[in-house]
This record gives sequence, C-alpha cells and structure tokens, in this order.
Amino acid sequence: MPIQVSLDRALMQHLADLARLHVPTERQAVLRQRLECIVAAFSTLQDAEDGHVDAAKERQLELRDDLATPPLPLTTVLANAPQHAGGTFVVPRVIDA
Amino acid sequence: MTALWRLSAATIARGVAAGSFTASEVTAAHLARVHLLDASYSAFVETWDERALATAAAIDEDRAMGRPLGPLAGVPVACKDNLVLAGERTSAGSRLLAEFRSPYTATALARLQAAGAVLLGRTNMDEFGMGNTTETSAFGPTRNPFDPSLVPGGSTGGGAAAIAADFCPLAIGSDTGGSVRQPASLCGVMGLKPTYGRVSRSGLVAYASSLDCVGALARTAEDLALWLDVTAGLDAADPTSIAAERPATPQLTARKDLRGLRIGVPREMNGPGLDEEVLAVTRTAAQLARQLGAELVDCSLPAVAHAVATYYLIATAEAASNLARYDGVRFGQRREGHGRLEAMMTRTRSSGFGDEVQLRILLGTFALSYGYAEQFHGRAARMRARLCADFATAFANCDVLLSPTSPMPAFPLGSTHDDPLTLYLCDALTVPASLAGLPAMSQPFGSTHDGRPIGVQWTASHGRETLLLQITHVLQQHSEHHLRRALP
Repeated sequence: MPIQVSLDRALMQHLADLARLHVPTERQAVLRQRLECIVAAFSTLQDAEDGHVDAAKERQLELRDDLATPPLPLTTVLANAPQHAGGTFVVPRVIDA
Repeated sequence: MTALWRLSAATIARGVAAGSFTASEVTAAHLARVHLLDASYSAFVETWDERALATAAAIDEDRAMGRPLGPLAGVPVACKDNLVLAGERTSAGSRLLAEFRSPYTATALARLQAAGAVLLGRTNMDEFGMGNTTETSAFGPTRNPFDPSLVPGGSTGGGAAAIAADFCPLAIGSDTGGSVRQPASLCGVMGLKPTYGRVSRSGLVAYASSLDCVGALARTAEDLALWLDVTAGLDAADPTSIAAERPATPQLTARKDLRGLRIGVPREMNGPGLDEEVLAVTRTAAQLARQLGAELVDCSLPAVAHAVATYYLIATAEAASNLARYDGVRFGQRREGHGRLEAMMTRTRSSGFGDEVQLRILLGTFALSYGYAEQFHGRAARMRARLCADFATAFANCDVLLSPTSPMPAFPLGSTHDDPLTLYLCDALTVPASLAGLPAMSQPFGSTHDGRPIGVQWTASHGRETLLLQITHVLQQHSEHHLRRALP
C-alpha cells in the first residue's frame, strides 16, 4: 500500500529549517500542495517488489596515487568570498557574547 | 561557397588545417551571427569575443609557423553555464552565482582548449540544471529557434538552441536526467550523453553527483565522435572518471550498413502515453534501420515504470546535499540577516535560489529525512538497482535500444509552470539511461505536422559510445533529417 504523507505545517517548517530556507507565508500553501502532489505520485514505489535486488553493489573505481598537490593560492581562494579579512572568511557572529 | 557558420566542426577543423579559411574568419563569422540573431532566442548568457578572437589568432599563427594543430583547431564551441573557465563568470543559471568567477578550468573545457577549440561563450540553462525547459534560469528563458513561442527543452536549452540556430557547430552540456538529449530532441539536433564517468566532472557545477555527466550537442555523429575523442578519459581530479575507450573517430565509418545489429524496442518506452507523432517518427527510424540490415527485437524493461519517481528522489536528495555549499560564506551572493550566521545563510539561500530549486531542495530533504528516508530514498536506490538489472537482461539479447527521446515535442513557453509533476514526466524516457549510467544519444528523425522537431533515442551498454556513433552516422548517410535548419 502506498503510504499517505501529510505535509503539515510542522513538517514543512522542519524541512525548511533543515534546508536553511525561509518559505514566505504567501508561498507556503502552493509549495505544500506541489510537494504533496509529487510525494503522493512517488509513493507508488512503495508497491514495487524489490526484495532480491542488491542496491549496494557498486562498480570498482581506480584509486589515484595518494599524493599531495599544490593547493590554490590563498588570494585566489578568497577572491570570491563575500567578505574576508586576514586570510580568512568573515561570517556573522555564531556565539553570543 | 557555404557560409562558414553552416559548416560542421569536422569540416572547419579540416579547412583551418588546409588553409581554406582561417580560425579568425570562422570565429568572427560565428560571433557576428550570434550578435545579429541571438536577441530573439537568448541561447547565450555571455559571449567571450576578445578571448575567442585571441584564441583564433593564436591558432592561425601556429599554422603560419608550421606548428602542429589540434583535432578541433579553430572550431567554435559553446559552453554550458555550469562548466567553469578560469577567470570567466560561471553562474549555473542562478542569481546566487551571478558574479562567480572560477579560479580553475573544468577538465572537459581544458581538454577542448588543448585540442584547439575556440570557446565562444556560455549558454543559458535551467538553474543548477533543474528543469527541462530552460525557463528556470535567472537570466530568463531561451526560445526554440524553430518557433520562438516554444521551449527549447532543458536544462541545456541554450546549447541546443545555439546548434539549431547555427551559432556554433558544437555545444558542451551536462546531462543528469536527460539535459542534453531532451533539448537536442526538441531543437532538432544531435545530443550525446556518454557513459557515467567517461568524461571528467571536475569543474562541472554539481547537481546530482551519481548521475551528472558532461555531454555534447552537434549536427553530426562525426562531430560528436571528435568531441568524445578529445574529452574522454581518466582524470585525477574526478575519482569517478574512467579510462577512454579506443578513439571513436577512426571507427566511425567501419559500418556501411546495420547488418548483424540487433535493435531492442522496449515496450515500456514505445507505447501508450506517448505523443502519436513521436511514436510514428520512432517507427520511421526503426524501419530505416531494418532496411539497412538491422534486426528489431521486442524487449521489456519493467522497472522503467518507476524510473521518474526513482530519479527525482535520488537526484533531489543528492541536490539537497550538494547545494548546501551555497551558504554565503566562501563564494556567491550573500544577504545579511539579523546579524547571526544561520540567519545570514537562510536569507542568502532563500533570496538566491529560484522557486524550482527550492522545491527540489525541500523534496530531497524530505526524501532523506528521519522517518521517510527508508521509504523513499532507500526504495529508490533499490529500484535503481532493479532497473540496472533490467538493462543487463535486455543487452544480453540485443546490441542497442531504440525509443523516442521525449514523450512529446516542444511545447509553448509558460505552459507547465503550475504543474511540476507533468514537467517531471517529460523526463520519463531519458532518466532510465541516466540511472543506469548508460551512454545514450538523441538523433533528429522527423517532425510534427506543424514542423516541431522530433528525436529518437539510442541507448547502449556501458562503454559503447562508438557503437551509438556508428549507428547514427550510418543513418545520417541514408536520411536528411539532420540537414533541416531552423533559420536561413
């Protein structure tokens, strides 16, 4: 049986928090309806018999040599940073004083 | 003499090497055409005129000095906006990366440069590859050169439109669930997605890492063979890359017909639910293949029925993880928020990502979240394994599979905005090969009653790109669908 998932307000907020997204109030209903529609359609996977298939089987990849190579220069790495100082990325405070 | 912008990549490379025309003349002709016409289609986000003309001049100097030329010397190439080129902007169709300039060059582009290609500019795409109409781009939609009221497909819609409009003979794209093949079909050009890992992903902006492939669009199988030969192969910067096979170009003309070839026709990909004209075109391709000696074989891929759900659960889960890096700290746009780190990250992401990207991040977060991960992502992973097993069974009895590329031809811009599920179903025929990591090609093979192009899809087992190129090359010698032009 396909499982029924109700994407209630609490679950939507939980997903948005995990994804670090803010969904404005005026978009919440539309987004929820779209997600519910997709999740309901994809619930058909629940019906599919899949007992004998080994999903963990993966092809072998060639390992490269474990050698250190020169990193990018610091100035190059920082060139795209929205804010940097003293060779570091600058971010807003994390811990209250 | 044929206009320089009408020539294939192979013809240009031969002509430059022989001195029939210069790389500078070829580059100038293509740039002039882009600047004359692209305002109506928006295939390009940006052209790199100065860089392109300087590259072309250097090639002309190499020739004048008698230095060896690469196999793509002087060939203008368009690059999808998600492959980084040192010093140039790469935005992946996103507001969030509008001003991002990469410190390094993607392996796929570096190998093209080493082969003498002239990189013309970056082409429009759905934001982070999430879409199949090119309408989710922050730069606005691209329009189909066959009819500007129609979508070009996506996410490599800019690249497909660039080939269809004769802006360049070769466009580099990426294909996660059909993003090279579907726009190729809707724009009446050829598109190749190689085996997963055949072309390095280093420098490709990640969408879904277990599915992402660098691919290419062109008018002829010969041009795609040239591209594959210079681009494929191991790369220390991509641990999933695999060794190149023998070069395809010298083997391209090994077949004069299709005798001895067994073509599987999967029931689930050639039946109900597909547009009637699309099915008719696919039957036309099958008939020509049979006339050329191939044997058609009925086959079945039962797990294809679940491919769209499987694909979207896996792809969005990987995207939710991959796109976590866009947090306003190391690169990209930043929006401050109430002085705190988390608030800044949330504000940056919410204002930087478009609606479709946010929807897919939420879907992927759901598919991986506690209480649902096993029921959704876990089952999708097992269904993917089952689909791989279905393909293995099919390829035990045939050499290649034939189906339409897209369930429907190009449709009007704006017609699917309110219905994401319908849009996802557009990928029903391309995601199976993506999930199994198989090489696949779209080849134009006809059109609807009102002139919209229709492509057919050829899928082979791992590593058999050369077979796909040989088949499509033979068919191009016996048909004229690839010669149809969108614009005079």
